[in-house]
This record gives sequence, C-alpha cells and structure tokens, in this order.
Amino acid sequence: MPTVTQHQEAPDSLPKDALHQRIGLAQLSSRLVNAVWRGSDRVSAQHAVVPTGFAALDAQLPGGGWPCQSLTELLQPQASLCEWRLLAPSLKRLVSEGGHILMVGPPKRPHAPGLVQLGLPEKVLVWLAADTPSERLWTTEQLVKANPRGAILAWLPQVSPEQLRRLQVHAQACDCPVFVFRPELARRDASPAPLRVVASLGMDWELHVQILKRRGGQHEGTLVLPSIPSLLAQVLTPRLLRPSQLMVRKEASHVNALGRAADRRSHQQLVSL
Amino acid sequence: MSMHWAALLTDVRTSNSSACDMAGIALWALQFTPRVTCSGQAVMLEITQSLRLFGGQAQLHAQVESGAKEMGVRFTAWAPTSLAALAFAEAGIADGFAKPLAQMLDLLPFDCLSAVKVHAATLARLGCKTLADVRKLPRSGISRRFDKELLLALDQAYGLRPEICRWITLPLSFAARLELPGRVDTASGLLFGARRLLLQMSGWLAARHAGVTAFTLRWRHDDMRACTAGEGGDITIRTAEPTQNVDHLCRLLAEHLAQVVLLAPASDIEVLATEVSPLAEKNHSLLHDTAKQSEVLGQVLERIEARLGKKRVLLPKLVEDHRLECMQCWQALDSPRSNAVINPTHVPQPAWILRTPLKLAMLENRPIYQGPLLLLLGPDRVEGSWWHQTQSSENASQSKTVQRDYWVALSVHAGALWIFQQRLDAEDAAWYLHGHFA
Repeated sequence: MPTVTQHQEAPDSLPKDALHQRIGLAQLSSRLVNAVWRGSDRVSAQHAVVPTGFAALDAQLPGGGWPCQSLTELLQPQASLCEWRLLAPSLKRLVSEGGHILMVGPPKRPHAPGLVQLGLPEKVLVWLAADTPSERLWTTEQLVKANPRGAILAWLPQVSPEQLRRLQVHAQACDCPVFVFRPELARRDASPAPLRVVASLGMDWELHVQILKRRGGQHEGTLVLPSIPSLLAQVLTPRLLRPSQLMVRKEASHVNALGRAADRRSHQQLVSL
Repeated sequence: MSMHWAALLTDVRTSNSSACDMAGIALWALQFTPRVTCSGQAVMLEITQSLRLFGGQAQLHAQVESGAKEMGVRFTAWAPTSLAALAFAEAGIADGFAKPLAQMLDLLPFDCLSAVKVHAATLARLGCKTLADVRKLPRSGISRRFDKELLLALDQAYGLRPEICRWITLPLSFAARLELPGRVDTASGLLFGARRLLLQMSGWLAARHAGVTAFTLRWRHDDMRACTAGEGGDITIRTAEPTQNVDHLCRLLAEHLAQVVLLAPASDIEVLATEVSPLAEKNHSLLHDTAKQSEVLGQVLERIEARLGKKRVLLPKLVEDHRLECMQCWQALDSPRSNAVINPTHVPQPAWILRTPLKLAMLENRPIYQGPLLLLLGPDRVEGSWWHQTQSSENASQSKTVQRDYWVALSVHAGALWIFQQRLDAEDAAWYLHGHFA
C-alpha cells in the first residue's frame, strides 16, 4: 500500500492576525492590507464554484469548490476508478437545480440504477458514446460551447495540451463545470487547466486527493476524504468499514498456508468474514 | 421630412486599391440601410429609415463610425443632404446637424463641392472664397456664365432641390478581393486582411438576412514565386450553424490558418461566401431563460448525433428487472420516453457495468482481479427469468436465464467491485466481474 502523508496545516490556513503581526502589517490601514497580495493567499474566486461536498477539499480549492467557467482536470491511476465517488456530491447539487450530466466517452457502460442511488435521476443523464479521440474532443467542444446547465464529464485520455488549451478557452464562456478525466501518467505534462487534481483510492473507504495545480499557492500533501459508494454505507458493518485490517489478517492467514496443497479453508474463512 | 446622410470618405492616397475598397465599404454599409451610393472617393448612406433601429440614433452613429474606421475609412460626416455630408467630410466637420444647414455650409470654402470646384479659377478671380460668396452671385448670371451643374449642385447641397442617386444593389453572391499592401510570408499574416473582407461579408449577410455556413479564403502567390509553388491556395471553413458573427469566423479562420504553410509569399486574398442559408431572427428575452438553454442543449445533442451517428447519443430508461444487465436500457435521442414510475432497487448498485461480464482468473480457488479480491458482502442471489428468450445472430434462441450470487468485492487497486459467481453449471462455477462502484 502506498504510504500517505497526512495533509499538514498549510501556511495559508494560519489566522490572518498572526500573519499580520509577524510581518508588521497590523499598523497599516485595512485598505492597504487588503490591497497587498501575498503569495500564500489563495485567489478569491472570480467565478462561481460548486461545493464538492467534502469540507476538507472545499477548504483547499480556490473559492471553495469545483470552479465553473474553467476546465478541471481529474487524473486517476486507471479509468472508472472513483469518478462518481469524487463528483457525485457536487453533481447532486447541480442536478437539483435542473442541470444535465453529459458524459462524453465514458470508459464503461454507465449503470443508471447505480447513478440514481447516487442522487442523479435517470432523466438528467446523457451518454455521448464518442469513441475516437477526435470525436471525443469535438463533442466536448460542442457541449462546452452550448453552455448547458449541469456538468460536462469528458474522458479524454489522449488529449494534447494544445487541445486542452482550446477547450479551456471555450470553457471560460461556459457557466457549468467541465471535468476532464485523464490517466495519472499525464501528471508530469504541462496542462492549461487551472485546476488539476489526482485522485486515487484508499483502502478504508476513502479517497486520496492531491491538488497538483490550483490558482494561488501550491498545495502540498494528500487530502484523505471519507467516501463510501452509493447505498453500501447502509449495509456495511463496522468491521467492514476497515477492510485494510481484514486484508492484513488475510495476508497473515496466507503465511500460515504456505506449503499447503490447497488453501480451501482460508478461502472459506475469507468468505465468512 | 429631412433626410439623414452619412458620408464615408476613403483615403485614396494611402490605399492603392481604392476601387475595390469602395465597393467593399458599400457592401458593408448595406447592413444599415438599403440606400447606399458611391460618389468620387466617398460612400454615402441614407439612413433616415434606420434611425430608430440599431438602438437609436446615437448608437447607430457610433456603430457606423467604429465599423467604418475598421474598414479603412478616413472620415465620417453626417448631414441632411448627401452633397453637404460630402462637403463636411472634405472639410473635416463630423456633425452637420449642429446648426442650420445653410449657416454651416456658407462657411465652407467653395471647392468642397466638386461641381463648383470645376470653376475654381474663374470664381477665385471673381473674389469668391466660401460657398456663401458663390451663393451671393446673381443666379441668372451664374446660369449664363457657368454650366447648369453648378446651380444644381448648390441647390441640392442646400436641400432646395431633390437629389437623384444611383443606389448600389446587393449582389446575389459574395466574393471580395483585397490586394495586400505587402508580401505576406506566413499564413497567419493573412488574417488581418481577411478580417476586413469578413467584415464586408458580414455586412452583405446582414443585408440579405442570411448566415454563412461555409466560406472560402483564397490567396494568390505573388509573381516572384518559385515555379513549384503554383498559383495559390485556398481553405474552406465550415460552421455548424449559419452565422454573421465576424469574431467567430475570424477565430475559426485563425485556427485553420495556423495549420497552413504558404508555399510562397501571398500578394492578394479573396473571400467567398460558399454556402449561405437564411438566418431566422430570434426574440431576445429580458429574463434569464432556462427553457431556452435546454433548447440549445437539445440542438447541440442533435448536431452531435448527426455527426457521430444514430445510437451514439443515448438517454437511459429504467426497467423493472432484477437482472443487472436488464435494469436499464440506453435509448436513442428521439425514442419515446415513458413516464412510468419505476421502483428503485434497494440493493446497492454499481455506477459502471461491463457490457459482458469479465471472467475472472482464479488463484487458489479465489477470484483475482488486479491482485487478490476481498469478498465483503454477499451473497445476493439473482436467478430466474427462464421465460426470457432472445434470438441470437445465428437464429438460435438463447435463454437469458441467470443463476448468480453477487458479491461486493474489494480490490486494492480497482476499488469496490460487483462480482458474481455463476451457479448455472456445476462444473465451471466461475467468477465474473460485472460492475464497478466508482
């Protein structure tokens, strides 16, 4: 399991007064203090945002949520890993205001009953089955230009920075958030998207989110966000909320099983867990 | 009723292609009024009928003036008669409505009117300097001494006699050429000249109440080109819907020109409106209209469907069924939508499913998918539907009977999965992956 550094208190979350004391700004008039931009400040949102539904993530994003009128890049180690777990809380809000969820080239077949359980009624879902990279790009661009209500989710694994820049230019006139999903390999490439987020899974029903790029200061560390998909939260027993411990136990049983011809017993044990 | 004229004075001294410029400006000006005429170096617009359009007189003046500046017009003047407007433009007075017309015209030197300028030498010897001096001369004497054009021009300029003009008519198709002031080596350098031609095209389109869906930019290489370079080249740019928007067309053109490499320096360019379709005027709403936005979305989805093909823009329909693959079907855009209320299932459902379940490899009798799986919850037994028969491609009927035990499994790398154990055949009780709780 990858080690995860807990998110540390960034300097920008220091109380403002303490900061003023330290750099001697307290004597200055408040008008002047407000006029001074410090590098550690996050940019106040010029655009509307959609709250993500995760307080810890909201606190780190400029403006306190997913930005509208701009591109948001979500990187994942593999496709169809945690899209809905990360976005469903914010999408639920957009949908309740009468928006549509427009999916461009999703990697797998969307399962409407599952999405309904996430709070996205089937009437708002639109699946645009664009296959080739150029089709995906064209479709996404057309949607962005149309300025729909709701959200645009586009899976663009092979997009180039120039194409993203073009999308970003169009997205500036679009009032809905535009999410672009790309593989995690793209994290080293430059990207014109103002917000880039890497999301991966933690073992104990959590998402590990890193903010690679945002307006304002750099964010260090990893955010750990609790998230249980759909209705599973109602049926998981307290023991199942910590699968990592179960894993450890399974591995331990594995060690005991070394040298045995068939590990029938441990399989049954695992199932009965 | 007094008339309202604008005179757009072009600059012949700097522009070496004034003839085509004049025609272009006249075409562009047709968007404001159908009454446009050319005389000498100026284009004249009679916009009395349009004064209450385009947001009122001040707005109209501003639009004409700013547009004319972009078209390369040197000076714009306004007056109640065309000859007066032309005279004011020559003299550098913008607003001919500031004072009564006769007062303002009287102050101008007499060579402002071309019909009077012909006799400049004689009039100067008579001691005339301004138009007022010419007017003070006895009319009978003038008509005997000079030709009748002089009196006619004077009367027309002062609004005492009606003016007769040859109005420019709108051509059926649009093609405008522009000789570039210098040789242009890069394709993106053509954009500046092309913008001027596109402005003309938008004026022509506005006058025809039409929008362009395709236009062609042609360029001709200059005479010093290499023999391999050929005559020139062209690109055709298409838009999704008819438009007159110059900025939009320029953006499109810029993106296309960025990929073009000129084989030789270009000396002149030409823009043609290749495909034109009528543009329906829309009523604008004062309020933010949500219904309209969804209408726009509908149009976009239709357009995407037209490009990608049928069955590529899909809307879900829930079906009451307990089998995972039959719970939903994705329909094309135009299929009827039922309003039947479907009871949602209370079993946790994955957000993604696989079209055909993926048979999982086994390791020590346990299913593996990107490493070992931890079975968390289950079994959730789904079976039955022996009555459901479908015709497969070989015309053999195939039963959609299922006998499955579903489990929620957890993988370190792939997250929570929805897998099942096939119970139909005892000999190969295989495990399959069917969905992802992403």
